[in-house]
Amino acid sequence: MQLIIAGIGGQGILFTSRVLGQMAIDRGRTVIGSEVHGMAQRGGSVISHFKVGDYKSSLVRRGQADILMAFDQTEGLRNLFYLKKGGVFLVNAGDEAVFQNTSLQKFLADRSIRTCRFAGHEILNQHMGGNYLFLNVLILGTAAGLGLEGFEKESVVQALRELAPPKHLESNLKVFDLGMTAARN
Amino acid sequence: MNKKALLLGNEAIAGAIVAAGCQVATAYPGTPSSEILPAIAKRADELEAEMVVEWGANEKVAFEMAVTSTFAGARACCVMKHVGLNVAADPFMTTALYELKGGMLLVSSDDPGPHSSQNEQDSRFFAMFAKVPCLDPADAEEAAAMVADGYSLSERHGVVTMLRPTTRISHSRQALDLPSSRAPAPKLPVAFERNPARWCPLPAIVRTSHPRHNARLLRIQEEFEHDWGRYNFEVKAQKPARLGVIASGIAFASLCDVLVEQGREDVDILKIGTPFPLPVKMADEFVARHDRILVLEESYPVIELQLTNRTRVMGRSNGFVPEAGELLPEVVADLLARALGEEPEAPDAEFVSLMDELRLAPRKPTLCAGCPHRSSFLSIRRALPSAINPSDIGCYTLGINQKGIDTSICMGGAVTSSSGLYLAHKVSGQSRPVVATIGDSTFYHMGVPGLLSAVYNRHSFVLCILDNSSTAMTGGQSHPGLGEKPRKEDEGVAVDLIKLCHGCGVEFVEVVPAYDNAAGVDAVKRAWQHAEAERKPAVVIFRHPCMLLRPKQDVIPVTVDPDKCVGCRYCIDYFGCPGLSFDERTKKTSIDPNYCISCGACRAACPHGAILEEKR
Ligand SMILES: Cc1ncc(C[n+]2csc(CCOP(=O)(O)OP(=O)(O)O)c2C)c(N)n1
Repeated sequence: MQLIIAGIGGQGILFTSRVLGQMAIDRGRTVIGSEVHGMAQRGGSVISHFKVGDYKSSLVRRGQADILMAFDQTEGLRNLFYLKKGGVFLVNAGDEAVFQNTSLQKFLADRSIRTCRFAGHEILNQHMGGNYLFLNVLILGTAAGLGLEGFEKESVVQALRELAPPKHLESNLKVFDLGMTAARN
Repeated sequence: MNKKALLLGNEAIAGAIVAAGCQVATAYPGTPSSEILPAIAKRADELEAEMVVEWGANEKVAFEMAVTSTFAGARACCVMKHVGLNVAADPFMTTALYELKGGMLLVSSDDPGPHSSQNEQDSRFFAMFAKVPCLDPADAEEAAAMVADGYSLSERHGVVTMLRPTTRISHSRQALDLPSSRAPAPKLPVAFERNPARWCPLPAIVRTSHPRHNARLLRIQEEFEHDWGRYNFEVKAQKPARLGVIASGIAFASLCDVLVEQGREDVDILKIGTPFPLPVKMADEFVARHDRILVLEESYPVIELQLTNRTRVMGRSNGFVPEAGELLPEVVADLLARALGEEPEAPDAEFVSLMDELRLAPRKPTLCAGCPHRSSFLSIRRALPSAINPSDIGCYTLGINQKGIDTSICMGGAVTSSSGLYLAHKVSGQSRPVVATIGDSTFYHMGVPGLLSAVYNRHSFVLCILDNSSTAMTGGQSHPGLGEKPRKEDEGVAVDLIKLCHGCGVEFVEVVPAYDNAAGVDAVKRAWQHAEAERKPAVVIFRHPCMLLRPKQDVIPVTVDPDKCVGCRYCIDYFGCPGLSFDERTKKTSIDPNYCISCGACRAACPHGAILEEKR
């Protein structure tokens, strides 16, 4: 499985790739990935590459990603070229209008890309007092909600237990469920 | 017992350095190398290792601390980013010829792309320049393994050994073993023995040490030809090979993945992990066996230029491989197809036209909401709008978004560019205000010699030191002004910034709170008056902690009065906090609660007094 996580520096993307890595390790799988540190972390475009399986390189090639997780809609669209035919596009959508664009709709349809849009900021405003640092767990919840292989609730929760401070566990579980629900709607 | 953990490449390198029994570890931070030293300190604490771990004020300092400790027999390492080696080049080039007593590993991390650097220089060329062996890992696991083998090489030959990871190795994540044991200390006890012929490079001594070094380098090259099969090896094609690829670093790893994805079995690979000195016989023999040869390495043609016969070689020196930028997997796939004489994958025209149509706004790096640098630039520009504003390298280089920066070269360059620009105008009979900005860590790193020189030569300019109590750009490391040290319970001394400036001979040194616009404007104006009248540099220190340190500060919620906002965009163009947004339809600024941290600093940015404290 090859995955791209796209967003803006400071959104908590690094934590997501650590959770994904822990999940893979827990399943005894080989993982390799690539992160962005430094200048771009100051609010610039950042992407993490993540590969589970027998790979040597930490980088995903264009057209090879199974999943694109976008913490930000614009960053997601910008990185659509990474997705393979039949790939999954999970996106924290802010602006519905863009998705009415016929060229975009055709692009996604031509490639049979399964798109899951969720209003992350709205959900977190409503349920988590506007704490957007929970976006990373929310997005993992949506992946589980879609029933994607490797994102079963138990394995995500176990990885969160290992990586997140215990005092956040309850909130994380709540956000995860919000993500699952959002994906099913 | 070793335990598998999901490690950052830099953590794997750090773990291996501690495991190798390193005793003196030094560094100056710089992306992509910055996480190595803190990880060394953490691991050393966990293992209660007898080891000193210190930041040097700059890379020359750090390198000299480490390399001279090997004169006494200690096992040492020094870590930096590629441009740091420019700063450390002087001791590096000279100690390259020494016969060291303890092992010395130099980690110089390159940044092809670049992602977070001012150039794409290739440290392997520096190794070649200095004539020291260089190890070039293809992934984090190999990087960690090369640490122990690098020390063995260094200690057997008494030679500085370079490990050269790139961003994609340093910032990769892999499940790896974190070794929990430490290699025994060097056999000989640490004790400095007087021997000037060994430790002083007088010309007469170099006349014998240089030829001796050359002979040693040939022995190392022979070793690389025969005994380093773990890092230099051939991956043979299953079918008759139509192409031979010599590859190193992440390009090798990406090539392997591309071959598997494409199901290709007609390409032979010679993987090289010791690019200098290149095992030339091995490489030449590989070249001789193939009609077509492609060389994939980052970022300059180091392996390629050492090949004896390059007539059939497609590489970077003849423009076949792009001469700048990373060898991303898609670039590798494209080059592979072209090298085989096949049609490369066409660019995705539909994606290109989709992007043209959607016109997504580029997302530039910006200073954090509440960042004190933003307020400092506002004051500096307001005080003297006609001034030239040299700057430096750090988060504050992002002041370019506020039109607060005219020049930047390398660390410390803000001070010396002020001198140069002052002199250019002076020599042609002009006076123009020069107000420079430099970060605190950068000032301690390389700002001081420039300031001394400016006092000595009577240069008029204002130096604004943006003191956020952090080396922020690279992740918030300590520096001499802070006094904290990487290992637990190891306390340093904080060197006072004001006294340091006075000590350089500067008379005018004033401190202002960075958020206080009126005080900042006033101080910069007076500083320039002083500098011009006295023909001396003047210093204004803008002080406020970095937002990433999460300082406790007044919470001042703000709002924009729509009646007072005239839509001039001044707050957007010259302040540009992510917490401010401008509505193109209503032509009004408003506060974006998603980003605003209620620092209140933007109140000073509106020339019409429209940004106000929100009374609740
Ligand atoms: C010679 C050299 N060493 C290291 C770096 C990496 N680097 C970039 S900016 C910076 C320091 C930034 O700290 P400071 O001057 O305090 O400014 P801040 O980022 O905190 O605003 C460093 C170490 C570099 N660019 N050049």
